[in-house]
Amino acid sequence: MAIDRIFKDEASEEKGERARMASFVGAMAIADLVKTTLGPKGMDKILQSTGRGHSVTVTNDGATILKSLHIDNPAAKVLVDISKVQDDEVGDGTTSVVVLAGELLREAEKLVAAKIHPMTIISGFRMAAECARDALLRKVVDNKADAEKFRSDLMKIAMTTLSSKILSQDKEHFAQLTVDAVMRLKGSTNLEAIQIIKKPGGSLKDSFLDEGFILDKKIGIGQPKRIEDAKILVANTAMDTDKVKIYGARVRVDSMSKVAEIEGAEKDKMREKVQKIIAHGINCFINRQLIYNFPEELFADAGILAIEHADFDGIERLALVTGGEIASTFDNPESVKIGRCKLIEEIMIGEDKLIHFSGVEMGQACTIVLRGASHHVLDEAERSLHDALCVLSQTVNDSRVLLGGGWPEMVMAKEVDELARKTPGKKSHAIEAFSRALLTIPTIIADNAGLDSAELISQLRAEHHKEGCTAGIDVISGSVGDMTELGISESFKVKQAVLLSATEAAEMILRVDEIITCAPRRREDRM
Amino acid sequence: MAATVASQPRSSKTESYIDNKRKEDIRHANIVAARAVADAVRTSLGPKGMDKMISTASGEIIITNDGATILNKMEVLQPAAKMLVELSKAQDSAAGDGTTTVVVIAGALLKQCLLLLSHGIHPTVISDSLHKASVKAVDVLTAMSVPVELSDRDSLNKSASTSLNSKVVSQYSTLLAPLAVDAVLSVVDPAKPNMVDLRDVKIVKKLGGTVDDTELVKGLVFDKKVRHAAGGPTRVENSKIAVIQFQISPPKTDIEQSILVNDYTQMDRILKEERNYILGMIKKIKATGCNVLLIQKSILRDAVTDLSLHYLAKAKILVIKDVERDEIEFITKTLNCLPIANIEHFRAEKLGYADLVEEVSLGDGKIVKITGIKDMGRTTTVLVRGSNQLVLDEAERSLHDALCVVRCLVGKRFLIAGGGAPEIELSRQLGAWAKVLHGMEGYCVRSFAEALEVIPYTLSENAGLNPITIVTELRNRHAQGEINSGINVRKGQITNILEENVVQPLLVSTSAITLATECVRMILKIDDIVTVR
Repeated sequence: MAIDRIFKDEASEEKGERARMASFVGAMAIADLVKTTLGPKGMDKILQSTGRGHSVTVTNDGATILKSLHIDNPAAKVLVDISKVQDDEVGDGTTSVVVLAGELLREAEKLVAAKIHPMTIISGFRMAAECARDALLRKVVDNKADAEKFRSDLMKIAMTTLSSKILSQDKEHFAQLTVDAVMRLKGSTNLEAIQIIKKPGGSLKDSFLDEGFILDKKIGIGQPKRIEDAKILVANTAMDTDKVKIYGARVRVDSMSKVAEIEGAEKDKMREKVQKIIAHGINCFINRQLIYNFPEELFADAGILAIEHADFDGIERLALVTGGEIASTFDNPESVKIGRCKLIEEIMIGEDKLIHFSGVEMGQACTIVLRGASHHVLDEAERSLHDALCVLSQTVNDSRVLLGGGWPEMVMAKEVDELARKTPGKKSHAIEAFSRALLTIPTIIADNAGLDSAELISQLRAEHHKEGCTAGIDVISGSVGDMTELGISESFKVKQAVLLSATEAAEMILRVDEIITCAPRRREDRM
Repeated sequence: MAATVASQPRSSKTESYIDNKRKEDIRHANIVAARAVADAVRTSLGPKGMDKMISTASGEIIITNDGATILNKMEVLQPAAKMLVELSKAQDSAAGDGTTTVVVIAGALLKQCLLLLSHGIHPTVISDSLHKASVKAVDVLTAMSVPVELSDRDSLNKSASTSLNSKVVSQYSTLLAPLAVDAVLSVVDPAKPNMVDLRDVKIVKKLGGTVDDTELVKGLVFDKKVRHAAGGPTRVENSKIAVIQFQISPPKTDIEQSILVNDYTQMDRILKEERNYILGMIKKIKATGCNVLLIQKSILRDAVTDLSLHYLAKAKILVIKDVERDEIEFITKTLNCLPIANIEHFRAEKLGYADLVEEVSLGDGKIVKITGIKDMGRTTTVLVRGSNQLVLDEAERSLHDALCVVRCLVGKRFLIAGGGAPEIELSRQLGAWAKVLHGMEGYCVRSFAEALEVIPYTLSENAGLNPITIVTELRNRHAQGEINSGINVRKGQITNILEENVVQPLLVSTSAITLATECVRMILKIDDIVTVR
């Protein structure tokens, strides 16, 4: 009893079995939460914010759900993190990775209960993951050389990704849209150049891809509404009088005419600034800050289109796509890079007027205008499109493609099973467990669709016993179908990332044998 | 099956089990909440629908029949119910009218969905079938529609008055409908014949008089008084109008300034200088021949001072101050002039010309009218009058709906019968189509068809008719091929609704169906509510 308390008040410590148990339970609970969103017939969740406004989000995106959860369990946090990483890295498969990690832990728990040491399980898992990856590598198809086929691969991947989202009904339309957008990028993964504008009204089908850039702003009064061969200066500068930034600065004069002189001088300064800007030889000026009436009129007189108060994101992107730079001083016209585009005009989408820049310098740039019934729909559509765009841009770089619909899992499970049979020792149990965990993914997809999963999976396994099988779950008809015929494809990179990060996360959680919770800080009394 | 699984005790976390209870509960709760919202607005549907009185948290009272407004003011918290509010907003922005219809259809669809779910049909199957049915429904509606030409003013009037008939101002529909048509048609740009920007139609509300006095003004109307403290003119013919964004008052710098006065003579000099300064400005203005000034509101300094008003009056210049910055664009577009931001730039070519600028007394207030504008832009102003604020507001909302209806027709030039005729016809054709389909789909499509009958049902119910007799008779008529039979609420019987001049734009009906379906599908797909930060 000598070392009675080594921790602070309220700090707690959980050891051995209990610690492992706690982390297993937490991780599995998270996995179960997002499980139902998996697959083309997965369900959505409402995220209701407890903050101000009680705003509501409807989503099917695993990463979005997990990101917004309150989580206390440390192991659960690990899963949330891998989902985030998956989102950043490849953009899709955020749910799959959590579900797979959860299933691996579920299997590991049974093994631990059977008195197999966690380290043995880990080494088994590692072997299995390695083997599964090799199995996938052997099966990948790479159509990079054949442009026609590659495009159809991309289409398939986009459709597969979108089919589990809100856009599933119009997936062909959107697949076309995303593939076009990504193909314009020509291999770069810079999704910044693809702008997504959401405008409520109309239906999802009215969404379109626009070559060029759209800015959600109005053109100043009395200025040209259409400019060809525009030279654009993007700036972030205050267009009012330069003020002395010292508190209490004031001018003392002794007559009214002097006040008028000062006022005139202020005006002159503004005019000077505007002249300097005009001296750049531009015909379009876009400022992040306000442009007041006076300079606006000067611009109008010079026939320059001036746009004020553009949002930060907007001007950064605009500078990027038009090939210009954001300027804040105008003394050296030669050193400022001016953006160019072929045509600026005002267009109308729904009830709003927007400014459209077409024929921009950076040919990759494009804008996707999303239309939809409500903000919920639009937000969710944006998330789905983002997923699809991420996956596609990754696939353009790493063009290896796999079939979808549970096919990769079946292939992996089969190989891992073989390995288990060949491997002597306790490890083989772990390897076997790994294969079981892999099988749960198609099981969940089937379950979510309300199908008889036990029946389907066994059929699928039998099919896969044959060499070169392409069978997977056809959720629509509720049977085993040929994935090549149905055109369901997935990116190899996504699958690989799911496999590896899920295994790593499971491993990390398995290694834990003690959880120390620090004493909470007092002042945060969050209820 | 699900019940037995759920009733098993949760022995261990590791056992895989499927707990569907919670999901079903959530879905059920969502549907019930959304339907409650739909029921709340149901009674305001149709020409004999009732109004709602809403008392807001700030004590303001609104009486309205407009679904979008009612839902907007209702502070719903349940997430699914919120989605219905959003739905109504979406219809408002897409078509402008039919905001109640869309919510009522969504409510009816949800009711049918509940039934289908209880039969154990998977939500995604229902959702897919609903989508198919809605696509088919749009086809059917398009097939039913009659093309209309913009030159056919009669048809446009009819559809505008159909929209107005369900509002408080229905007795004025003969006045308001042609007014709405005129207003929209006058702003249609021949270059872009399918686009109408309703911001080009300005609605000015003025208390007093009755809705009868509402008029369309070819020109501009300001709900402001002319500044004539110093006896300036209130009526100017052959006016030259300047829109200025500077102020006619003593100078003021952006940087803080103070004038040091040492003795009395200096004071005198300053006063004189001030006078000269203002006089100088006014002379410059007068030199261009300008005789009407519209001054933009400024927060920094007074637009005019008594002194400048005095000089302006002497120069016979009419002054209107405090014009909002947002309105400048509309004004300059209408007057075909340019705003002037500095006295140095005050040139004759920036002025606008009008035959008459006049202050008119209306009720307890005064307004300024600018008419006979030379080279007027494609804008219109509607002056709405009403005997009290509530009527005035409702009249504005109704007029907005009517304007939207006409705009829909400009965008998509098809008309469709009203009075529940399209819904019954849809229901009949989809019902027939459902019989051809296989499996669950057919079953779900049939439910969709049944749900659509809610519109004629509610219409007749709200009109105090026997809904069952009416709906069954309607079905019967439609089965015999009278596809334009609908409920004539005024006569309380079924007639050919096209002959009764009850028509609405196709866009209103199609967008109501598609938007309602989209919303219902979204609610169906939700299986959990997670509270987050």
